[in-house]
Amino acid sequence: MERKEKKYPDALQKGTTRRGFLKGAATVAAGGAVALATSGAVKPKAAEAQKAAREPKFRYLFAERQNCTGCRACEYACSVYHTGVVRPSVSKVHVMKYKSVVDVPVICWHCDDAPCIESCPTDPKAIQQDPKTHGIILDEKICLGAKCLKCQEACPAQFIRVNPDTGQPLMCDLCGGDPECVKACYAQSGNPQGPCLMANKLGFGVNQAYRNVTPEEAGEDLLALLFYPNETGERR
Amino acid sequence: MAAPKGGYFGKILEIDLSKQTAKVRTISDELCRKYIGGAGMGAYLLTSEYKAGKDPLAEDAMIFVGVGPLNGTYCVSTRTSVVNMSPYTGLLSHAEVGAHIGNEIKWAGWDGILIRGRSAKPVYLYVKDDKVQFRDAKNIWGKTTDVSDTMMCEEVGDPYARTIVIGPGGENGVPYACATIERFRAAARTGTGAVMGNKKLKGIAVRGSKAVPVANNKAFYPAAVAAKQLAVDKEAWQGIKRWGTAGLLELKHWVSGSLITKNFQTTWYPDIEYIGGEEANRRFWQKHTACNHCPVHCMKLGVLRDGKYKGLIAEGPEYETGGLLGSNLGMSDFGGMMALIEAADAYGLDAISLGGVLGFTTECVEKGVLKPADLDGINPQWGEADSYLELIHAVAMGKGKAGKLLAKGVAKMAEEIGKGSDAWAVHVKGKEIAAHDPRGDKARAYSYAMGTCGGDHHEGTKPATIARWAMINSMVMCSFVGGYPWGKETPGVFTAMLNPLCGWNMTDDEYWTTAKRIITMERCFQVREGISVKDDVLPKRLTSEKLPAGPKKGAVFTADDTKKMHDAMYSYFGWDDKGIPTDKTLKAMGLEDLIDDVNAARKKL
Repeated sequence: MERKEKKYPDALQKGTTRRGFLKGAATVAAGGAVALATSGAVKPKAAEAQKAAREPKFRYLFAERQNCTGCRACEYACSVYHTGVVRPSVSKVHVMKYKSVVDVPVICWHCDDAPCIESCPTDPKAIQQDPKTHGIILDEKICLGAKCLKCQEACPAQFIRVNPDTGQPLMCDLCGGDPECVKACYAQSGNPQGPCLMANKLGFGVNQAYRNVTPEEAGEDLLALLFYPNETGERR
Repeated sequence: MAAPKGGYFGKILEIDLSKQTAKVRTISDELCRKYIGGAGMGAYLLTSEYKAGKDPLAEDAMIFVGVGPLNGTYCVSTRTSVVNMSPYTGLLSHAEVGAHIGNEIKWAGWDGILIRGRSAKPVYLYVKDDKVQFRDAKNIWGKTTDVSDTMMCEEVGDPYARTIVIGPGGENGVPYACATIERFRAAARTGTGAVMGNKKLKGIAVRGSKAVPVANNKAFYPAAVAAKQLAVDKEAWQGIKRWGTAGLLELKHWVSGSLITKNFQTTWYPDIEYIGGEEANRRFWQKHTACNHCPVHCMKLGVLRDGKYKGLIAEGPEYETGGLLGSNLGMSDFGGMMALIEAADAYGLDAISLGGVLGFTTECVEKGVLKPADLDGINPQWGEADSYLELIHAVAMGKGKAGKLLAKGVAKMAEEIGKGSDAWAVHVKGKEIAAHDPRGDKARAYSYAMGTCGGDHHEGTKPATIARWAMINSMVMCSFVGGYPWGKETPGVFTAMLNPLCGWNMTDDEYWTTAKRIITMERCFQVREGISVKDDVLPKRLTSEKLPAGPKKGAVFTADDTKKMHDAMYSYFGWDDKGIPTDKTLKAMGLEDLIDDVNAARKKL
């Protein structure tokens, strides 16, 4: 399968060099420290108040793509949490059906190098990464919206969609450290493979091999992985 | 004429294909509350506009692609209901289908799409919120359903659009052609494919970006969460999660004795071991797929890794497809059976009617009343996938003597062939029945004989469940998630969701009255077309031939069983002993408009 290597040369190199590896490891160590600092220092009295306000946790979101059943419970949960009603068009996480055979969950991988933030032209930047939760936060007052969308071009996972009302990008803020989509996926699953979405400190920081593919390429991967010897998914 | 407070947008999209125009038809809260939506709303639209003796393929014939109040909300597993007059049976029919298109229609801001007219050349529709495009389908016309699905999404430039398309079967006017949703799901049993083909409508692609209005979100959301939790926890569904409905293949063979075999000759089929759910799980399935917001994901996709059909990706077997195109045809070759199922999906044919037709044809050849020469030299034998594949191709393409004969369906084939072949022609009201043999599973006879559409397996197993299903099909929910597990809780689970969603105060009584009203109105439509007690019967084979083997050996559906079924059904719904709704019933249900039509039909009997 041909990857679009020219489009994101830097990101690809980073994933394979020793420097990138070390950089990722260092971030995780730092992240661990943050998580420890926040969860370890909870006093009994303050615990209840903090529970109600959601404990901020440093996390990455991860999608085990071959487990996705395409039920879109994640889209439901995301839009209910952020807007109060079910509205997948403003859900940050979304599911793409590829060739009507496989389902590709399209998520924000919360990259450490965050190409979306790098590409953001405003000063101060409209997109920030929350140091406590690792979620990407969009400042709607600063964001230039439909006339810019540099972040959408920059995202190697083609995750970023546009809010149909405001024209601004939809960014995954990890729901303040406890992602609703993950909980919905877990509740929904019980399927033989288990849930698809997870949130945790996983691996060595950002997972370049996962995030550097577009949804279409991920769909091709899934077809090859699950439906060998028919990688094209065509009817025979 | 108040506008709906929530759950509905109060708008139906009316498409006229002759003039290529789209307009909005507003519906009031009162109407929504009376007929709910989906199958009920479709039945209302068709019954109120059609006169007796309507031609199902007339230019102004209607197709209603309907959704209900719960679609697009947090409610678990909502579906789509397609309602039209079937060109196959000449009766009102509705087909419920899963996947995602219903919710996209709702999110686009519509409570349904009503299609009439006939286009001069092939077209398809693209509905994106309020915008409607009529697009030229010349590149897609003639393609199989999977290619049509992909090409349509590509042409409109939206990989997230959801589609409903017809295959070559519908284009060539096979009366049991279905409309296919997202490649593998079929709105079948209603001849919708044939009606769409007749209208030169290749399909509809839909994408929506709105949110459904909710009257009282604070009360609705917890009710919907609780309802979903019931579906998640229900023990019976754990098996469906694992095996889909294919697990029933083994169960109905070993335990309930109702797996149809070789055109209803028996229900004992030990070879099910080679084609059932266990075999599929061991060698075939790769992926579970779910409809909208459904925790049950009963749809299984797989790929054949060896043999003649290596590389074939298919959905199934499900209970009906594996029954009708598996045990019904004496198949013991798993790959061959999957090739038949995939062929039915690709050409857009109803797998149940198709399996019934192939089984009947094979028995005709076996008994010598039909010669291979009558079938262009094709010689169908039990268990031989190749000859069946040739026949399916001929039917879908309308090719040769075989294609033309088999496209007629079992009822008309038996008339044409004669020679006593009606003894093994198994159909109800002109439609082949599904894979549950009512000799082993007597409750299923209600669905076949008493259900609105005839020969349908999903319309309840006693009068009360027929009423329950009417509501499930109108709210448009999945009958697994919405129907079976909530037997005792019905209707509390639904009124707890509907009331805060729509701003109603519906009681249990009103819920059941609504259900009875929908069934009675559908019945009035059929009565107008000449249906009465004489048609509410099972075919000769099931009422006279005893089961020769299996757990229900010797069982037969007796005249006594039929009488009991009629009495229970007619008294529950308030119909007379000819199966015709009485004036009193019609008045009590607010269907006064239909009294004259029904009495005129009664006089003709």
